[in-house]
Amino acid sequence: MTSQIVQRVLAEAEKRKAKKVTEVHLVIGKLTFLGLEQVHFAYEALTKGTIMESSKLVIEEQEGVVKCNHCGYEGGFKYDDDPLYHVPVPTLKCPKCGSVVNIAAGKECTIKSIKLLVA
Amino acid sequence: MKKEVVKAEEGEVFDVELSEDLLQANRRLAEENKQFLHSNGVRAIDVMGAIGSGKTSLIEKLVQLLKNRYRIAVFKGDLTTTIDAELIARHGVETVAINTGKECHLDANLVKKALQKLSLKNIDLLFIENVGNLICPADFSLGSEKRVVVVSVTEGPYMVVKHPFIFIEADVVSINKVDLAEAMGVDVKRLEKDVKTINPRAIVVATNSRTGEGVGDVSKALGFRTMEFG
Repeated sequence: MTSQIVQRVLAEAEKRKAKKVTEVHLVIGKLTFLGLEQVHFAYEALTKGTIMESSKLVIEEQEGVVKCNHCGYEGGFKYDDDPLYHVPVPTLKCPKCGSVVNIAAGKECTIKSIKLLVA
Repeated sequence: MKKEVVKAEEGEVFDVELSEDLLQANRRLAEENKQFLHSNGVRAIDVMGAIGSGKTSLIEKLVQLLKNRYRIAVFKGDLTTTIDAELIARHGVETVAINTGKECHLDANLVKKALQKLSLKNIDLLFIENVGNLICPADFSLGSEKRVVVVSVTEGPYMVVKHPFIFIEADVVSINKVDLAEAMGVDVKRLEKDVKTINPRAIVVATNSRTGEGVGDVSKALGFRTMEFG
């Protein structure tokens, strides 16, 4: 995923004849399996030797949002706290009415904006 | 959807608004696959699960059960080798091995490529077996109509709660190797309850894909007309 991000940013920078990329701003959903630490690590390794080297990587996290078609609830996930497990388990039950909800946000990996230094 | 706003900042620095979701690109391609399959009258079923959970054997049993009624093809995702693809092909159905090389999951683009190898007018039903993995495939939809997740009791009692996001969008969950549940000290009912907590929509079926136990129920849950096994 990170290499796709870097490729995409490099292509955009080239198209705009940039000398350097100074900043990349990402939005990553909490319901994806992208680990922020790994993304930072891979970003650093992948940008080495390119015009993105030592650019600032800003990652904004997007909370998981669910929508209920039954009662109209829109907001955070309900977590089922089973004392048997240490980790709260997410559930698709509506926190308000208990119906089954749909996922509305939290699955994105978006390049929101980039900052380019143009000669 | 691409939106670009360019504004100059401090003379030389350009702020480029991209708003491009890279995962959305896969979802868009998956939607195209779905439309394409639908317009050709093909129902596609995505089968996911950990390495060794029994995805291939479940597909083999489903193929045996359904091949007299449906014209079936199978995509078999693996990092390398065609071993499993050959296991499935011996049942006389068209099989395409998708070797991802190093990638831990299939994506919509690989499926799109594999679809070009099939003549869809001769097919009613397509099983897509993902690479053995409970993590990455959850991020990449492929364009299937229904998603099956296989979890076996030999993976231990906490596999479901440890990987909630693969179950959250599953239509059918097969709890496999139930014949070993007692030996493993795993409570099948508990696993079932865990799935239902995470995803109340999922239909959960206890299976033994070596003997075929429960496979008829998986088939029913997917909406296929079948005869009983045996």
